[in-house]
Amino acid sequence: MSVLELRQLGRRVGGRTLLADLNLRVEAGECLALLGPSGCGKTTTLRLVAGLELPEQGGRILLGGRDITEEPAGRRRVAMVFQSYALYPHLNVTGNLALGLRVRGVPPQERERRIDAVLELLQLAELRERRPAQLSGGQRQRLALARALLRQPALMLLDEPMSNLDAQLREELRPELRRLLCGGEAPVLYVTHDQQEAIGLADRLAVLEAGRLQQVGTARELYEKPHNRFVATFLGRPALNLLPPRDGRQLGLRPEHLRPVAEGGLAARLQRREWWGSQQLLWLESEQGDLRMLLPAAHACPDALRVGWERHHELWFDAATGERLQGLA
Amino acid sequence: MIRAVALLWSLGPLLWQLYTSLRPADALVSGPQGLGSPGGGIFGGWTLQNYSQLLAADPPFWRYLLNSAVVGVAGTALTLLLAIPCAYGLQQQRGALRWGTLALLLAASLFPTALLFLALLEWARQLGLGNHLLALALPYAALSLPLAILLLRAALADLPPELEDAARLEGLGPLQRLRFVLLPLLAPAIASTAILVFLFSWSEYPIALTWISRESLLTLSAAIARIGASSVFTIPYGAFAAATVLGSLPLVLLLLLFQRAIVSGLTQGAVKG
Repeated sequence: MSVLELRQLGRRVGGRTLLADLNLRVEAGECLALLGPSGCGKTTTLRLVAGLELPEQGGRILLGGRDITEEPAGRRRVAMVFQSYALYPHLNVTGNLALGLRVRGVPPQERERRIDAVLELLQLAELRERRPAQLSGGQRQRLALARALLRQPALMLLDEPMSNLDAQLREELRPELRRLLCGGEAPVLYVTHDQQEAIGLADRLAVLEAGRLQQVGTARELYEKPHNRFVATFLGRPALNLLPPRDGRQLGLRPEHLRPVAEGGLAARLQRREWWGSQQLLWLESEQGDLRMLLPAAHACPDALRVGWERHHELWFDAATGERLQGLA
Repeated sequence: MIRAVALLWSLGPLLWQLYTSLRPADALVSGPQGLGSPGGGIFGGWTLQNYSQLLAADPPFWRYLLNSAVVGVAGTALTLLLAIPCAYGLQQQRGALRWGTLALLLAASLFPTALLFLALLEWARQLGLGNHLLALALPYAALSLPLAILLLRAALADLPPELEDAARLEGLGPLQRLRFVLLPLLAPAIASTAILVFLFSWSEYPIALTWISRESLLTLSAAIARIGASSVFTIPYGAFAAATVLGSLPLVLLLLLFQRAIVSGLTQGAVKG
């Protein structure tokens, strides 16, 4: 079984820490999304796992129980889909797929058979003579994916594979991508800064910030029991409301947990209303700063109101460290 | 209007040479007043006498063209053979090593080569390289290398780095990446570098003059200079002009040929669609 294990993985460049002490385990067939803002170390993690960069002393990468930390990139049986797709511009679709097989010494007949199969799988058969420049964005992405699948990898890495596509196409491709990637033998590491994509594709999410792993878990775990303020604000849209800190503690409230109440709560004035179809997002100004409140679209809301919430929805954080304080909710 | 002036400015001297080469020797000095004389008038008395004289000489003029072509091709091939791996290796380096080497190469490529020919002559004498046609390719390659490496390194730096990463992950070794991924994409840069090196060796004079003394081994520039200085009393303008025309024809052909390769190479390399 190929399980990916990262132990104490770190990377520093010129005195700057890109990644520190990353410990992570991805099961066979599991799709794990590395999620975080740009520069958080998610692409660095992928490049380390792929063997394109070397980790700091002490870091270990194990694939299927075997230590591959020192192994050259080409021997790791790891395939990667790049953000820019990195298709060979001078080769046509077939050529892009054939090059790797050719240098790895796959005999011509088998080469052809495998290419045909993957072209069929990704609906690229009609386009086999085209160069990358003659393909649309979605077709290029599929070709990049085809090239990676053709490698029959023990581990699949994807670096923001959909960031060059428009929102609608992204949503359409998500189930297809899931069908192709997940549930096989190989673990999948999927890097994205888009939480929708991460939630839609991955079995578990790992949230990174400033080179440090903040939390790993299912989308639901991360949403309901965030370890800290960063994870709580990063996940969930519209983003968490943070009230001003008091006595070293800070209260976080999700917009969907706020409700207009008759008494108690916070006094607020309605500033702006965004219609989201079935829901409306209300921008409020309260005595505790600005708040966002998400209500069903039909819900009427007066200009002056009181905003309340239930105690078990409260997320309390240590104001200084950002750690979530358990047992206060 | 500006285009016309620019065209005239660049083509004028060439056309004048062409004109001169097709005129009889005395017409050049007699001027338009000798209208009645044989070969008189601006447009009268065309002749191929200058050309036939050149081609009938011993050795015939095409011999020099051939010599220059041999030296040029050998020098260009040697330059590329060395410059491509150098540029690739240099691009793999990071930090001070890369930038220091680039600065040194830039300094070397700016060095006036004319200052070197005496020292080079000394070496040629010691190593017994005089009067060997292919030996000329050595200094030509050496002198062209810095610029060639700089040009090719810059072209390599323009390629997206993920391309090589992708190839690495597919199991391609360094030489395979160079051969199957980078070189095809560098073709336009290689073509233009080759032209520059070839032009340099085609027109190089001091080294060719000092390393080669045997008549049958002279390169074009040395041979043309010898025609110009063949007599102390007169300068054979007609023959001289015919030699320059014959000497530039292959270059014109070469540029036309390569231009196509460069243009097609550019559109081929387009990544965005």
